[in-house]
Amino acid sequence: MANMSNTSGGVNWNVVLGGGVILAVFAAFSLPSLIVFAVGLLPTFVAYLIDSSDQKFGAFCVGGLNMCGVFPYVLKLWNENHTPAAAVDVITDVFTLFIMFTAAGFGWMIFLAIPPVIASFLSVMAQTRVKTLRTIQKEIMEEWGPEVASTVDDEPVGMPPGE
Amino acid sequence: MAELPLDAEETGSDLPEGLAPPGNSDGSDGVSPPEPPPAQSMPAASHGAVLLRDRYLVDSGKPLPEFDAPTAKAYAVEDRRDLGNQLLALVCTPGFPIRLSAIRLLKDGDIPGVLPLVDWDSIMWPALGRKSLIIIYQRPLGGRVVDRLARKETKITEYDMPRRVIEPLSEALQKIESGDGPHRAIRPENIYFLDEDMEDIVLGPHMTAPPGHDQPTMLEPIDRAMAQPAGRGLGDSRDDIYALGVTVVLLLLGHNPVASMKDEDLLKARLEHGSYTAICGAARIPMQLIEPLRGMLADDPAERWDFAEIAKWLTGLKITPVKKKPMNKSEIFFKFRGTEHYSPRSLARHFARHPNDAVKAINGEEFETWVKRGLESKEKTDAIKGAIQTSKFHEDNHQGTDDFLICRVTAILDPDGPIRYKGLAFMHDGYGPVLATEWVRNNNPQPAAEALSHDVSGVWYGAQEKLKKEHIETQTTFTQLRGLLAIQDPGYGLERVLYEANPGMSCQSPFVAEDYVLIIEQLLPALDDAANSGGTSSQPIDNHVAAFIAARFNEDIHPHLKALASNKAETSIVGTLSLLAFLQWKLRTPALLGLSSWVGGLLGPAINAYHNRHTRQDLERDIPRLVRKGSLPELFNLIDDAEKRQEDSDGFAVCRAEWLEAEEEIRDIEGAGDERLTKAERSGQQAAAMFSISIALTVIAVLVLAEMM
Repeated sequence: MANMSNTSGGVNWNVVLGGGVILAVFAAFSLPSLIVFAVGLLPTFVAYLIDSSDQKFGAFCVGGLNMCGVFPYVLKLWNENHTPAAAVDVITDVFTLFIMFTAAGFGWMIFLAIPPVIASFLSVMAQTRVKTLRTIQKEIMEEWGPEVASTVDDEPVGMPPGE
Repeated sequence: MAELPLDAEETGSDLPEGLAPPGNSDGSDGVSPPEPPPAQSMPAASHGAVLLRDRYLVDSGKPLPEFDAPTAKAYAVEDRRDLGNQLLALVCTPGFPIRLSAIRLLKDGDIPGVLPLVDWDSIMWPALGRKSLIIIYQRPLGGRVVDRLARKETKITEYDMPRRVIEPLSEALQKIESGDGPHRAIRPENIYFLDEDMEDIVLGPHMTAPPGHDQPTMLEPIDRAMAQPAGRGLGDSRDDIYALGVTVVLLLLGHNPVASMKDEDLLKARLEHGSYTAICGAARIPMQLIEPLRGMLADDPAERWDFAEIAKWLTGLKITPVKKKPMNKSEIFFKFRGTEHYSPRSLARHFARHPNDAVKAINGEEFETWVKRGLESKEKTDAIKGAIQTSKFHEDNHQGTDDFLICRVTAILDPDGPIRYKGLAFMHDGYGPVLATEWVRNNNPQPAAEALSHDVSGVWYGAQEKLKKEHIETQTTFTQLRGLLAIQDPGYGLERVLYEANPGMSCQSPFVAEDYVLIIEQLLPALDDAANSGGTSSQPIDNHVAAFIAARFNEDIHPHLKALASNKAETSIVGTLSLLAFLQWKLRTPALLGLSSWVGGLLGPAINAYHNRHTRQDLERDIPRLVRKGSLPELFNLIDDAEKRQEDSDGFAVCRAEWLEAEEEIRDIEGAGDERLTKAERSGQQAAAMFSISIALTVIAVLVLAEMM
């Protein structure tokens, strides 16, 4: 019932409200940084929107490297001239935008490339484990016969395939 | 017997070597066809000598026909330790139940007036090509009394008869009866002169056949004469006294006064006029013997003289004469199959012999009228009506059959007569030998089995006016036998009934039938021999062997029989092994190499009952070693080690759990392909996200630190 009261049509109003407050505070005290983050992190926002999974791993991937591309310019803004004009200069520099968005693109490439590699690795690990277990089963059956592979309701099963 | 001249009574002398005559040759109630000649028929030729107990050389080439019995042939014997010892051997006919307790009684000590029994054993008899029971007797040097009388080499007058014949024989009969029951084989040709001087008269052998089996009908009391030979029953001393009386008549006269009569006619005459009148009526009986013979031949057992009265008569005391009671017969006759019957006993006998016509007659009004008017017994009339009604009411079970109806009606008409059912006719104490002969010699145990399972004896007991002590005893026996018959497991059933009802029956299992296994000690060696003869693919304990052990072995073997009866092959063979091992251990039987090998070869299922392959291999390696020792108990201990079984069972349970655990893990890993892929991808995405955030944090940290420195 608590969730029902805080959500409507898939929109979590607590998050929206919290985000709005943060943005308001951020706009009041650090508008130039907000401008750079808002523009520089656009790929992350897009990734968040198109990533339909609950965990939003895609958004995290893109966001992580996107931040790597945005943070140096934000840091420069903080150290040199923290004004809205300087922020506009940053976001209107094509090279700067290229750096920021390319970093986000690397994040997306990581999101696309790593899972298959990890999956293959895990599959190999699983096959190795299965093989080990089959070997144990074969040894048990060689010592105790096929009846050992039966349960009360089952007929004895044969030797493991491929053994 | 009707042809009985004293020197020409039927013996086994005209039979093939070593064989007995068919047992159903008299006029008994048995309507089954005459028994076929035994299958072991051998040519009458010499087959050499055999040695009994390493001492008595029985020569099959030297028959002694003058000492033959109807179911045993006599041969000369040489005592190797005492060549002057005059002996003879009786070779029994295989398949007949013999009187083992009588053999043991006489072996334990001589009884004056009885032919001394020297030894006995079952050994290979070459003429039959199989083992047979051979009983060694002291040879009666004076020969058969009837033969010497016929040759007029001696004479027994009416004055000699009391002291030379009646007194010694009645004393001998008393001693026999106190030991093992009545003799039941007293007939002129079974009485011998023990000495060459023909002074001592002795009774001949009586244990080579069931009680009364070898007796001509004339020498059996009326009730037992109407039974088939094997079913005449053990009886009691009164039956011996009757036979002694007839024997005295025949010896006294020197001929059979009723030789011209057929057995059937003589029996009918005895039923209608009484045995004494029928047998002695036309003969000249000396005055001083009339009264004792009338007393000994009385048809009513209660009226018949006993040993005390004979002793009194012998000492000259006055005995109250037997009153001649009117025979139980009708004034009017009932015609059945052309014969006029005045006696209900005679009619009952003929009803049983002609069942199809009997049923028509029983259901006819004429029979009812005859019973009502002729027998003048309302009770019998009502009982017969009740039997007919019961038969109609139970049309769908055995009580509604014609055979059962005839059984009931004949028991009502002749309650003192034999139990009559499906062609069988046996006394209440004669069931065992009837089953034995019908099964073993006629190969048809079904009627006898039905007689027991359908409780036809109960019908007979129900027809008795008053149950006597011996009736109650045999009634209890029938109940026990029926209980055994109802159980179909090994060790029970009809086989068990056969051996329980016939203590002198050899084991009829095909494995040992030719070894004449009479006592339990002979069984294992016989099975050992059978193992060496081949045919060891089946278990050595078949139904006959199991029943024989159960009947003859005085130990509790129920757990073994229960295991033997199991449907599981491994339990059954362990039951077999345990029973045989128990026998070998208890009976202290020496090494049984053949039987051990036989059982060892069948232990596959018992070995396979162990789960562990190494244990099985160990057992298979050890079995040949124990087989070579011939020790069944050791073989059993190896196979059925409780500790080893527990270890095997526990280990199996643990390993099965381990196997199942591995299987579950494998199934978990291999489970659903898409799910596994999704899981792997998700893990990859998670790793990618962590990698990306790690880079971001590192870069931010480095930049912040660089700015600070």
